[in-house]
Amino acid sequence: MNGLFEHKKRRLEEGVTAAVRGDLPPVDEDGLFVEAGYDAAAAEKTGYSNYSYWRSTVGAFFHNRVAVAMLIVLALLMGFTIIQPFLPGQYEANTINNNPVTGIQLQNQSPSLTTVYAAAPQGIVLIGRRVNDDWYAVSNVLASIRARETITVVEYGEDWCKIEYGGLEGYVKNNFQTKLKLPDDPTATPYESRSSFPLSIYQEPVDYTNNGEALYVRAGSVRELEDGAVITTGETELRTIPSDKAFVFGTNNIGQDLWARVWSGTRTSLMIGFVVAFFEALIGIMVGIVWGYVRALDRFITEVYNVLDNIPNTIILILISYIMRPGIRTLIFAMSLTRWLGMARFIRNQIVIIRDRDYNLASRCLGTGTGRIMVRNLLPYLISVIMLRMALAIPGAIGSEVFITYIGLGLSVDTPSLGNLINEGRKLITSASLRYQLIFPAIVLSVITISFYIIGNAFADAADPKNHL
Amino acid sequence: MVKYVLKRLASSVVTLAIVITIVFVLLRQMPVEGYFDNFEKLSEAQINAKLANLGLTQPIHVQLRNFFVNLFHGDLGTSSRYSAGTSIASIIAQKAPLSIWMGLMSMAISLVMGIPLGAAMARSKSGFWDKFGTVFIVFINAVPAAVYYIFIQMYGTGWMGISMLFDRGNWVTWILPVFSMSLGSTASYAMWIRRYMLDEMNKDYVRLARAKGVSSRRIMMGHVFRNAFVPMIQYIPASILYTVSGSIYIESLYSVPGMGGLLVDVIGRQDNPMVQALVMLYSAIGIVGLLLGDLLMGVIDPRISFVKKEGAR
Repeated sequence: MNGLFEHKKRRLEEGVTAAVRGDLPPVDEDGLFVEAGYDAAAAEKTGYSNYSYWRSTVGAFFHNRVAVAMLIVLALLMGFTIIQPFLPGQYEANTINNNPVTGIQLQNQSPSLTTVYAAAPQGIVLIGRRVNDDWYAVSNVLASIRARETITVVEYGEDWCKIEYGGLEGYVKNNFQTKLKLPDDPTATPYESRSSFPLSIYQEPVDYTNNGEALYVRAGSVRELEDGAVITTGETELRTIPSDKAFVFGTNNIGQDLWARVWSGTRTSLMIGFVVAFFEALIGIMVGIVWGYVRALDRFITEVYNVLDNIPNTIILILISYIMRPGIRTLIFAMSLTRWLGMARFIRNQIVIIRDRDYNLASRCLGTGTGRIMVRNLLPYLISVIMLRMALAIPGAIGSEVFITYIGLGLSVDTPSLGNLINEGRKLITSASLRYQLIFPAIVLSVITISFYIIGNAFADAADPKNHL
Repeated sequence: MVKYVLKRLASSVVTLAIVITIVFVLLRQMPVEGYFDNFEKLSEAQINAKLANLGLTQPIHVQLRNFFVNLFHGDLGTSSRYSAGTSIASIIAQKAPLSIWMGLMSMAISLVMGIPLGAAMARSKSGFWDKFGTVFIVFINAVPAAVYYIFIQMYGTGWMGISMLFDRGNWVTWILPVFSMSLGSTASYAMWIRRYMLDEMNKDYVRLARAKGVSSRRIMMGHVFRNAFVPMIQYIPASILYTVSGSIYIESLYSVPGMGGLLVDVIGRQDNPMVQALVMLYSAIGIVGLLLGDLLMGVIDPRISFVKKEGAR
């Protein structure tokens, strides 16, 4: 911009200087003006605009980088939500997973991308037993010692101490819990010591257990030795559960896979959101158009609207959910019952503004029916607003679902939804190690609601012709 | 003006009566277990006797009439399960003050935080405060309140080293609930103040003032802000009244013995008379709040006329 001015300034200066000196170039009187002639194509061009409402809207939308990023995130998330149950290695959302060996529920398993706990090199001897056709349960713990038993330390180390106890020779962990004492005279080994905690004697100074629990290896990767021992036949993966399928988001307090539940819940919540948005649009548009277009009904519908609008939405939501049987249908019904009001009023106001424009008068004079005018002349004007409200209805519906579940009137835990997952997770916030059960559904929910909110608003801005170039 | 007020008042009363009737009729469709503490153990005769005693065997229009008559005498009925036999009015009278206190405190905080934030956003369009405020507003509006309330409780209490539960005598435990409660209104105050101020800033009188050489600060505070605040006043009476109902989330999360947690409690225990009374109370608050807001607007803003314009539509 500045450069442009500089350039002009310089030219002006040069011109003035030249004029003052009097050495102006001779003026070619005939060459100053040239007849342009008539060009039909050029004339056509000036009267033609390639403005298209939708192209400008989409263009303006794609200028908003945050909104585009959110759109991509949301598309990926929704795509994944749909295909997730068809992916290999998925758990069922409502299956209670038991450890096939012990039969105990796999409660509150921490989130993990893999079931592999550790790897053991070839030729390691482990204590193991076959649990089924495919798996062995293994560990390298020889025995355990009760607290305050006297043991003989043969060799003292920072992390592992070699000990003897009741005829067994092995290693015990030396850490802040077991706190084995150094001998008064370091050379005086063996010496006697004791721990105030129970100890496990390991075969080697390596821990091949899952915090004391057995680990699992595939039957093909170990060879059975005598008296309950197995030897690894190659690099072997030691797994926390006898399965390849990991609990990516961990499990809940009855051993259900949180990963499957979160995605199943996302499907439920999004479904509720979309259906509510659809009903909001459907009822809102129908009532709004009639309200705005049919003058005879205006007063009546306005009075009804005033009554309905005065009732707090939350109260209707609570009341309907309280009276009806809890379930997805009840939730959708209760939410749809209140949400269309705002849409109807908006549509009505827009219709009132545009219904007497000239083109509508012309249509009416040509004898077009009211129905056709509504659908063909009025509705296209309202599409952008309708889409905005539908986009905002989805986070709204998800929020309402969370609320209704929170006060105890929502879906049962058999139908996972983001609302009841968060509500279940909320009960565990006192225990820091279980907070993942709240955090995962909360993150997914926040991403969805924030994306819809931002996309909806960006779209509304883009759809406003004032923002079109 | 008087005519408008009377008309508005009448329509509010009618609305309230309609709402109460709807709630009353709907709740009569509920299973009758909600009136008993030990439904399973009772014989049919006992159940019928109790229902007759409560007046529930009468035809519904008689029940409704009795209810309205009692309502006029200030009698909301008695609790059936939550605190069997206690009058609901006395339970509310005991619970409401705490909710009102918390609500007023959080309202004060959100006014103190939200309005300067909105004003700063309007002044620094696409500057730091505008960006910060936009992120805050989007987050608060999009994410369901329950989610960030829970996270504030979870990490806030840990960080402050206090118990997760509310203790009326210990002022430190008031901070998090009141602060959480204020976030929603902070965001909406900021959003509206920003929008109204930007609207005002584009008006001719602001341009004139600027041309006259009035300082930017004076224009903002003296003209723009004052005019932008007028539409906000409409919501203040409703906000004050709503404090009576308390925050359902906050009170049950922190176990605050107030009105918000009460509704969740009585729903959990299926105490029909209490659900009915509370739902009606909340509706009444909503309706009266709107009425007062509209009236206050009319008093404060001289541009609002109560005379219907002829031929406008």
